[in-house]
Amino acid sequence: MNERLLLGRSIETGSWVHKLDARSKITGMLLYLAIILISHSWAAMGLLAVFSVTVMLSTRIPLKYFIKSAKPLRFLMLFIFIVQILSVKEGEAWLTFGSFSLYEGGLRLGAFSVIRMLFLVTFTSLLTFTTTPGKLNQGLEGMLSPFKRLGLKPDRLTMMIGLALRFIPTILDESQIILKAQASRGADLKELPLKEKGRMLVSLLVPVITSAFRRAQDLVYSMEARGFRMDAPRTRYHRLRWGTADTLFVIMFIIMGVAVAVL
Amino acid sequence: MKELYNTNEAADEAVISLEGVAFGYDPEHPILHDITLSVARGQWVSIVGPNGCGKSTLVKLLNALLPKSAGEIIISGQRLEEDTIGSIREGIGMVFQNPDNQFIGATVEEDILFGLEGQCLTYEEMDVRLKQYTEKLGISGLLSKHPGELSGGQKQRVAIASILAMKPGIVIFDEASSMLDEGSRNELLHILQGLRNEGYTILMITHDADEILASDRVLVLHGGSVAADLKPEELFLDQELLAKCHLREPYPWQLARELRRLGIETDVPASEKELIETLWPYNYSK
Ligand SMILES: Nc1ncnc2c1ncn2[C@@H]1O[C@H](COP(=O)(O)OP(=O)(O)OP(=O)(O)O)[C@@H](O)[C@H]1O
Ligand SMILES: [Mg+2]
Repeated sequence: MNERLLLGRSIETGSWVHKLDARSKITGMLLYLAIILISHSWAAMGLLAVFSVTVMLSTRIPLKYFIKSAKPLRFLMLFIFIVQILSVKEGEAWLTFGSFSLYEGGLRLGAFSVIRMLFLVTFTSLLTFTTTPGKLNQGLEGMLSPFKRLGLKPDRLTMMIGLALRFIPTILDESQIILKAQASRGADLKELPLKEKGRMLVSLLVPVITSAFRRAQDLVYSMEARGFRMDAPRTRYHRLRWGTADTLFVIMFIIMGVAVAVL
Repeated sequence: MKELYNTNEAADEAVISLEGVAFGYDPEHPILHDITLSVARGQWVSIVGPNGCGKSTLVKLLNALLPKSAGEIIISGQRLEEDTIGSIREGIGMVFQNPDNQFIGATVEEDILFGLEGQCLTYEEMDVRLKQYTEKLGISGLLSKHPGELSGGQKQRVAIASILAMKPGIVIFDEASSMLDEGSRNELLHILQGLRNEGYTILMITHDADEILASDRVLVLHGGSVAADLKPEELFLDQELLAKCHLREPYPWQLARELRRLGIETDVPASEKELIETLWPYNYSK
């Protein structure tokens, strides 16, 4: 599967995580984010690694998909690692080359940053891998529904997120096609001087935006033809159902949080 | 020969009726003017015409996706007005030309459910229809797929399933089979014949000779109005009209015409099989 195709796609395996209520998964992810931020020792990192990999394996989705989802960030991670090593001068110096010394503190903080980022990305893809966009949206809507009283319209918000998720891959596809069409007419973006590059990008953006508008118009036709009206009542095929497994799932993260805080 | 009009009791009652309807994207240059037509309940009507003559535009006027600039539209006895739009849309299902842009859900399942949830159906009812129509269109294995992972023909099947599952009384297909292969096209024709037997009214914009022949009636749209209203067999005998619509008669018809030119009289064949049966005796008389 193509990397782009992984954006917002669920991978059905029918594992226990797949069966959970989207609300518990979203809550779990938020707690996980907090856990990552409070992990400050090698022991905590180690525990977090064991925990994360165990949960990922239990989804029965091959680990390589999780790793793939972090791939686009590999250079950013490398960059952060190097910056940390060069700038942090804490702890004892382990190696010295001329004026540069490698400090224990720099290495530790660099490694922590990279590990945190890696966990964050791979583990949050667990949410999208195990939950179809519709259920995710519905979960989000359920969690935001208390805000209805404040005048917020969670169903509108999630409808927008849903349509965006649906159309981003299509629009990316189309940009690729237009880019290729332009390349086949002899315009190679990489070889052009900067000014020309800018002009090329504009000539790429214009057709992409025009066609995005046309798509939006067609989509509105399609929704209206199927009887869609904003704020009209709807029933749901998938119902949100909070079970014991969901409570346990959330408790699991709370226990992890306490353990990491102690370590 | 097939029966030309359905004989159920509601026959001849017009479900779609247009009187002097006009429309233009640019009000200065109307592309449709003075469209007057009426379609009886249970009828299967083909709409043909050259590219850009306004076929897609015309059908979008029927459920007020586009606002008519003049005339009157009556659907199932209801005059199309601001406050009847909702109930009229409920009775009309529309499969659009471009299968990419009418895919609303992020997965096949979500797309089919979109209309059903809007109809406020119960879980049980949605479940039944989801199974029934995905099976009917041969897409039950694709339920969790994202549109990006589907072929053009598969997307068209999803679009058709999404509409049929809502059980509208009138279905409109805008070149809905343009990406289907020969086999799937025949399957679609079968499905449509089934729908006709159930009393559905079908409007089908098409350039395909077999689809036209399967229908009861043809409306030729040309120059912004209805240029002809006739039976499919009559259309395929009218060379001038065919040329106007950029259409070609089916192969057996072409052959029969050539034979007639050579002095061999054949009945107008409905199929290749009939043609072969007509020609068979000549093989022996030589
Ligand atoms: N959104 C729009 N804005 C302005 N003009 C439009 C729009 N959509 C269509 N047109 C124009 O209206 C005319 C009729 O278009 P329409 O799509 O109805 O034709 P069609 O008969 O369906 O053609 P085809 O066989 O190619 O599908 C065309 O000349 C087209 O350029
Ligand atoms: Mg059209």
